[in-house]
Formats: sequence, C-alpha cells, structure tokens
Amino acid sequence: MQKIRLRLVNKIGELEKIHDALESLSDEWGLPPQLCMSINLGLEEAFTNIVNYAYRDDAQHIIEIDIALEGTRIVIEITDDGQPYDPTKADDPDIDLPAADRPVGGLGIFLIRKIMDAVQYKRTGNKNQLILTKTINQ
Amino acid sequence: MNLTQEKLNDHLLLQVVGRLDTTQSDSFEKQIMEILDQGHEKIILDCKGLNYISSSGLRIFLIMQKKMMGAGGQFKICGLQPSIKEIFDMSGFTMIFSIYQDVDEALKA
Repeated sequence: MQKIRLRLVNKIGELEKIHDALESLSDEWGLPPQLCMSINLGLEEAFTNIVNYAYRDDAQHIIEIDIALEGTRIVIEITDDGQPYDPTKADDPDIDLPAADRPVGGLGIFLIRKIMDAVQYKRTGNKNQLILTKTINQ
Repeated sequence: MNLTQEKLNDHLLLQVVGRLDTTQSDSFEKQIMEILDQGHEKIILDCKGLNYISSSGLRIFLIMQKKMMGAGGQFKICGLQPSIKEIFDMSGFTMIFSIYQDVDEALKA
C-alpha cells in the first residue's frame, strides 16, 4: 500500500496543494487522468465544505487528508476538528427541476456521492472523518 | 482560468480556458456579472478549453442561465469536454442548458 498525507489549514487557497499533490500521484502511481480529476473534484467539494461551514471561530485549524492506493482502490480519509457534520445524511438536490426553479448551490455534497464509489462518515472524539473510496477502472 | 470575449455576428462569444475551481470562482463570477450587466441578448460560452469544474463553477453557470432567461436572452454552451459533460449529466445541467458541439453549431441554432 502506498500512502501520502497532506496537512492543510482551513483556507480555500490550500486547494492548490491538493491539485499539485494529485498531479504528482498521477505520475507516481500511474493513475488515469480522468480518475485524478474525479478525486480532485471529490476532495475539493469535501475540503471547501469543511473550510466554509465546519468552524464557528476564526482560528486556524488543521485538516488532514490521507490518500492511499490499496490494490485497485484509492481510499481518501479527510479529518477535521470542526462541528459534527455527516455529509452522507445530506438531502439530494432535485436535479430534474427547470433552470428557473433550481436553487443556486447545494451541489457539492451531491457530486461527492455521485463521483465516489463509497462515502463513509465517522465521528471520533472531536474529529469528523470522511472516507471516500474510488475503484480504479483501467 | 482565463475568460476572453469577442463579438461574433449577433452573439457575444465567451471562451473560458483552464480550471474553474473554488479558488477561481470569485474572479469568474465578477467578470461574468459585468458582462451580463451589459445586456447582451445572445451569449455563447465556449468551454473547449475548460478542463475542470467544481460545484462553485457550476453555480455560476446556473446564475448565468437564470439571468439570461429572466431577461429573455439566449445563453448557449458549447465545446464541453467529455469529463465536464459527465459532471453536467450528473448534476441535471444537460437538461437545463442549450448545449452545442461547437461554436459554429451554437451560432446557427
């Protein structure tokens, strides 16, 4: 099993580090570009959600992201110390509504669930842990 | 992300190139709002150079569509790369936008 860990602070600008890390992994682990894009999207949506909604204070917080290659699966664990939030319980948006009736926003969590093969949530102590799994289809 | 604009016949042609992620979306939204405020009747957004989009970018596409529809205008999208088209399909966006193969097809429609 190969694994990398990213330690990021709760700032949107850190998304660039996620993107750079995935570009390196694409080369090192030989991942298809389409898969890297999906992982990037899932990670961006999860990370952005944490930065925007998880914290009630203005302090700096650490968000840890572990990305592991386990056989034919990529397993991503995102850990934060924000308020408890289980994205697996979020309601899906109604994607059949016409444009005029579609609310703006609310697609982030939905996209994570659509893109990933599995999404699990755990609350341990004061930490949220989101586990995203994606199978590699070569 | 880079956004360019030019007049093409009776349309305004916008071309977006690069990544439209959360770090870029504020700048994209500001530029788009300035363009929409100019009151163009027909806008084509050429996405052939767009290689990544997240929900923050999709949100702005939806705002454009709502504003153009509200003003009685036409908003056409073309040149979606397959990976971006897949995200449109997942989000139900394929049904709420007028999507064309390329700029020529969008101009004729």
